[in-house]
Amino acid sequence: MASSQATAMIPFAEEQLAPLRSLLADSSAEQRTWLSGYIAGFQAANAPAAAAAPPAAKPALTVLYATESGNSEALAASAKREAGKLGFAARVLDMADASLDGLAKAGNLLVIASTWGEGDPPQRAEAFFAALMASDAPPLAGLRYAVLALGDRAYAKFCETGRRIDTRLAELGATRLAPVEECDLDFEVPARAWIGTTLRELGAETPASVIHVDFMRPPATEAAAHSRARPFAAEIAELVNLNSSRSTVRNFHIALSLAGSGLAYEPGDAIGVLPTNDPALVDDVLRAAGLDHDDALRAALATRHDITTLTQPQISAYAALVGDAKLAAIGADPLQAAAFRAERQFIDLLDAAPHKLAAEQLAGLLRPLAPRLYSVASSRKLVDETAELLVAEVAWEAHGRARRGVASGEIARRRVGETLPAYVQANRHFRLPDEAERPVLMIGPGTGVAPFRAFMQEQEALGQKRRSWLFFGARQFTHDFLYQLDWQEWLRAGLLTRMDVAFSRDQPEKQYVQDRMWEQRRDLFAWLEEGAVLYVCGDAAAMAKDVHAMLARIVADQSGRDGEAYLRDLVQAGRYKRDVY
Amino acid sequence: MTKPPSANEGIKAASRLLRGGIAEGLRDRITGGLAADDQQLTKFHGIYQQDDRDLRPERAKKKLEPAYGFMARLRVPGGVMTGPQWLAMERIARERGNGTLRLTTRQTIQFHGILKGNLQAAIRGIHAAMMDTIAACGDVNRNVIAAADPQRAGAHKGAVDLARRLGGHLLPKSRAWHEIWIDGEQVVPAGDAPAESEPIYGPTYLPRKFKIAIAVPPTNDVDVFAHDLGFIAIEQDGRCVGYDVTVGGGMGMTHGEPDTFPRTADVIGFCTPDEAVDIAEKVVTIQRDWGDRSDRKHARLKYTIEREGLDRFVAELATRRGRALAPARPYAFARSGDALGWSEGDDGRAHFSLFIENGRVGGALMAALHAIAEVHRGEFVLTPNQNLIIAGVAPGERAAVAALLGEHGLANPAGGLRRNAMACVALPTCGLALAESERSLPGLVTQLEAALAASGLAEDEITIRMTGCPNGCARPYLAEIGLVGRGPGTYHLYLGGAFDGTRLNKLFRRDLKEPEIVATLAPLFSTYAAERRPGERFSDFAIRTGVVAATTAGNRFHEDVAA
Ligand code: SRM
Ligand SMILES: Cc1cc2nc3c(=O)[nH]c(=O)nc-3n(C[C@H](O)[C@H](O)[C@H](O)COP(=O)(O)OP(=O)(O)OC[C@H]3O[C@@H](n4cnc5c(N)ncnc54)[C@H](O)[C@@H]3O)c2cc1C
Ligand SMILES: Cc1cc2nc3c(=O)[nH]c(=O)nc-3n(C[C@H](O)[C@H](O)[C@H](O)COP(=O)(O)O)c2cc1C
Ligand code: SF4
Repeated sequence: MASSQATAMIPFAEEQLAPLRSLLADSSAEQRTWLSGYIAGFQAANAPAAAAAPPAAKPALTVLYATESGNSEALAASAKREAGKLGFAARVLDMADASLDGLAKAGNLLVIASTWGEGDPPQRAEAFFAALMASDAPPLAGLRYAVLALGDRAYAKFCETGRRIDTRLAELGATRLAPVEECDLDFEVPARAWIGTTLRELGAETPASVIHVDFMRPPATEAAAHSRARPFAAEIAELVNLNSSRSTVRNFHIALSLAGSGLAYEPGDAIGVLPTNDPALVDDVLRAAGLDHDDALRAALATRHDITTLTQPQISAYAALVGDAKLAAIGADPLQAAAFRAERQFIDLLDAAPHKLAAEQLAGLLRPLAPRLYSVASSRKLVDETAELLVAEVAWEAHGRARRGVASGEIARRRVGETLPAYVQANRHFRLPDEAERPVLMIGPGTGVAPFRAFMQEQEALGQKRRSWLFFGARQFTHDFLYQLDWQEWLRAGLLTRMDVAFSRDQPEKQYVQDRMWEQRRDLFAWLEEGAVLYVCGDAAAMAKDVHAMLARIVADQSGRDGEAYLRDLVQAGRYKRDVY
Repeated sequence: MTKPPSANEGIKAASRLLRGGIAEGLRDRITGGLAADDQQLTKFHGIYQQDDRDLRPERAKKKLEPAYGFMARLRVPGGVMTGPQWLAMERIARERGNGTLRLTTRQTIQFHGILKGNLQAAIRGIHAAMMDTIAACGDVNRNVIAAADPQRAGAHKGAVDLARRLGGHLLPKSRAWHEIWIDGEQVVPAGDAPAESEPIYGPTYLPRKFKIAIAVPPTNDVDVFAHDLGFIAIEQDGRCVGYDVTVGGGMGMTHGEPDTFPRTADVIGFCTPDEAVDIAEKVVTIQRDWGDRSDRKHARLKYTIEREGLDRFVAELATRRGRALAPARPYAFARSGDALGWSEGDDGRAHFSLFIENGRVGGALMAALHAIAEVHRGEFVLTPNQNLIIAGVAPGERAAVAALLGEHGLANPAGGLRRNAMACVALPTCGLALAESERSLPGLVTQLEAALAASGLAEDEITIRMTGCPNGCARPYLAEIGLVGRGPGTYHLYLGGAFDGTRLNKLFRRDLKEPEIVATLAPLFSTYAAERRPGERFSDFAIRTGVVAATTAGNRFHEDVAA
């Protein structure tokens, strides 16, 4: 009866109801809950505008991220979407723009932070991080938080930044909602799962309300365009080693055709490349594990697994797998592990205690193969649907084996006409100033010069004669002056105002860009005082630190002011930008 | 018939006594080169802009400019330097150059591949060792060369002393070299005329390079007839009483232009030692006033003399000096090559003449000479045959030097042909080279040695000289066998130059490839071995048997050519 009664009130024809009934019959409780939200959301989306006003009681959520190469930023964006669906009034905030005072009022806080350098926070987050760690940081009682830390187990201070933020927030009285989540380079799946779970836990107290599914807008453009998850097979249009045949190093100028991809980059952005492992090394790894007959695994090792990096957990895991006491001891001691890993790779681990492995055992030991980023060295305004990159070949010799960087080694092996899977990794922080008058000071030794070539191409295309000053350095003038003819042309045309170069191996005394900066300190400081934007790109380990120290010294020398404080102000004003790796 | 002056004349005139824009050019570190006009001016400072020709094909596609590097040439009157100076030059070569020293056919040392950014440091190092590069190139009197014959201590000292006096007297007076390379500061603003002047040269210097050599018979190692001006020492009772004076020698010519030719100098008289410097000054001023300033290919003194006639020239010299030269005295030369190995000097000191293949010192050889320079107290004498004499070895020192020579494998002499072989620099640094030379001759000599050995001539001395182009930097036209580059791997073969450097050779075969050179010479060697007269030189034999005609004067060089 009830059913017929109900039927009478149903505004559906019986044929329309049949599929709904069968769907509900097979559904789980969770699915049915979701469906009720879905229908409510559909209702809301189609209602007249006034009726769609969000309910007043939405809980607030801040997703605070600290990023260098954009991973945390991308995760933050997807956390915001997810949170929106779960009924939060969510906002995304870059730590570079965040202040500690505002944070106390945030209510709910999700932190997503990566670690750089040797356990350092991303550069643009340095000021916030320092304020948070400072002894005079304000109490944060009332704040509820959880931290997602991104890192790389190949580094000794794994996820250091995220860990320290997590500890510090608790010290300041905030409530930890979940333990800090530490992600390795294969963060995509675990990070998204953790975001989902954490948000749901956070929202458990608030009544499950409307699920915001966007029915009207076409699918997000991001989904259609090529991305890290769906890279574009970019054809190699040009591939030239820019160093002379007598150089001690190789840097490849590589032009990738983006024609038809819809990919668009701006000078300052990077191109992500999904590399393929050296087939010879794949074979060596398979052979070492007694798996050289396994072609399926061979294919997986080529493109999906990182078969070069060696991490401490891998040492322990392998030691356990093969029952090797010596390796187990090494794996258990960070110092021993560090010494063992110094110049070794995964293959050396297998060689240290050869053992036949099952395919799943080998695959289980390996991390996913991460993409590599390369600053674009071109402007689309000049080169159209092409992206030019400058790739330094990583190559060294250790323990009797010639070693190559995965991506740069692959690029060195490639030929024009072949393709590389690629996507665009935007870096909106590293852009030419909007004001055409504002001078730029560019410091980019080695491959660090790549984005500045993009800047110059952009200026050339726009016919913009902005005051610009470039510092470049390499080993030898004759053999390593990357893009020398381009700079000469821009200098002649007056597009590049000034250029200073340092070549470390041309004379008995080593000379670096910072030495040139010191020689030119008066002018350099004058440029800064005149409002120049300072860009530093390239090697993070040594160059960026030395250049930074030199900048501070120059400021102190020229003005008597505290150099570090001056530079901090520049960072805050968005006039000291670094893209270092 | 007044033709416009050559471009170089304008550059010199506008240079403010050799300054030009060199100082500014040195500050521009984005290019490794200098402005074209300044490249002409640096020559007067002993510095040439070059580029590594081996790398030329790849540079542009790598977005690199040509691989510029500078050659710097020392001024070493008579080729005499000390051990500490040698060590200082070696260090400059390692730290600022391409790691090699190149001993030249005119008793100096060349550095190659100095980057623009290192030039000042290199020249300062040279200056600190009390040496310089002033006027080592350019339209001025160059390094004065003198017989490298320390065995005859008195005569050698006299010749070197005259070389120093001549060189010093004819040095440009401009302070530009010191300003630009040593002080490094003053950049005289355009228009500000420097205070000094050039009393001998005038503001446009000479129409072309000018070279002086001093020979001490019986050795003609300096090839005195190859120079614009020469002095042949005349000895009486073991004492130098004066010099026969020669004028109008030169080697350079251009392929396919018969009005260019090598020329042996004419002997025009005799002078006493104290007249020599004044004679040199007057010859220089005649060339300054009479030389062709419109066509650099005819600007050397040899063409001035050909054009004006020797008599007119000699008369003009007498007029400018206020008196004529005394009649020339007899002299006799025996050889133009070096006598290698140990020799005892007439002053009790010993000398070791070390064969240095094509004058190139690097790697193991440089290390060996370094070791010797650290113990040796005497001199290092560069020879006009690109060799090096470890000179003035005191009796107590000799064993140590001999041991070092043995240890480094330098004691064993090469065969008769190789000992008398010379090649110019050519590729990869010389911008004028048409063919390889320094890098090619050693291998060719090895092949020819096999042919000589087959005829039993392995120890016979025969002079062979190769150049990468017809400019003649290794004086190939005065060799018994001359090879002159025509194009990659291709050479003209000349025969019949006198062993003592008194007669030019003659073109025998055109455009030979290396294997053809060997195939052409091998049968000549065997007939020479079979048919020569006692003591007859290979070149004299070739002329006697009609292989080539004798060249009796420079202006007949292109005549009677059978090839
Ligand atoms: C290094 C040396 C050859 C060697 O293997 O030792 C040499 C090397 C060069 N000579 Fe020479 N010449 C050298 C002795 C000679 C000689 C031999 C001599 O003087 O006894 C001659 C023939 C004599 C003569 O002057 O006629 C000689 C006749 C030339 C010429 C032709 C000159 C002419 O008027 O015909 C040139 C080209 C020019 O001047 O235009 C030249 C030009 C050059 C240049 C500088 C090329 C250039 O102008 O760009 C060469 C540099 C090559 C390099 O990469 O180092 N070089 N050059 C000799 C250095 C001598 C020194 O220390 O001063
Ligand atoms: C934002 C950003 C922009 C970048 N832009 C550029 C760019 O424009 N051009 C460019 O060339 N690179 C750039 N990089 C770096 C680039 O992404 C790669 O990291 C680099 O090319 C190395 O990758 P690979 O796969 O060739 O080497 P990998 O396989 O990743 O190997 C590199 C690792 O090898 C080890 N290693 C290297 N040398 C030695 C040695 N001598 N001894 C012992 N171990 C050693 C180190 O552990 C090192 O981390 C950028 C990076 C970032 C994050
Ligand atoms: C130069 C460099 C240094 C790094 N240093 C560390 C480190 O010390 N510890 C760590 O856990 N991860 C380190 N990483 C790994 C990054 O944290 C990791 O790539 C992360 O995914 C980057 O996230 P982001 O794009 O948000 O900055 C480093 C990466 C690079 C390229
Ligand atoms: S002879 Fe010609 S090739 Fe040889 S160094 Fe002289 S100019 Fe150069």
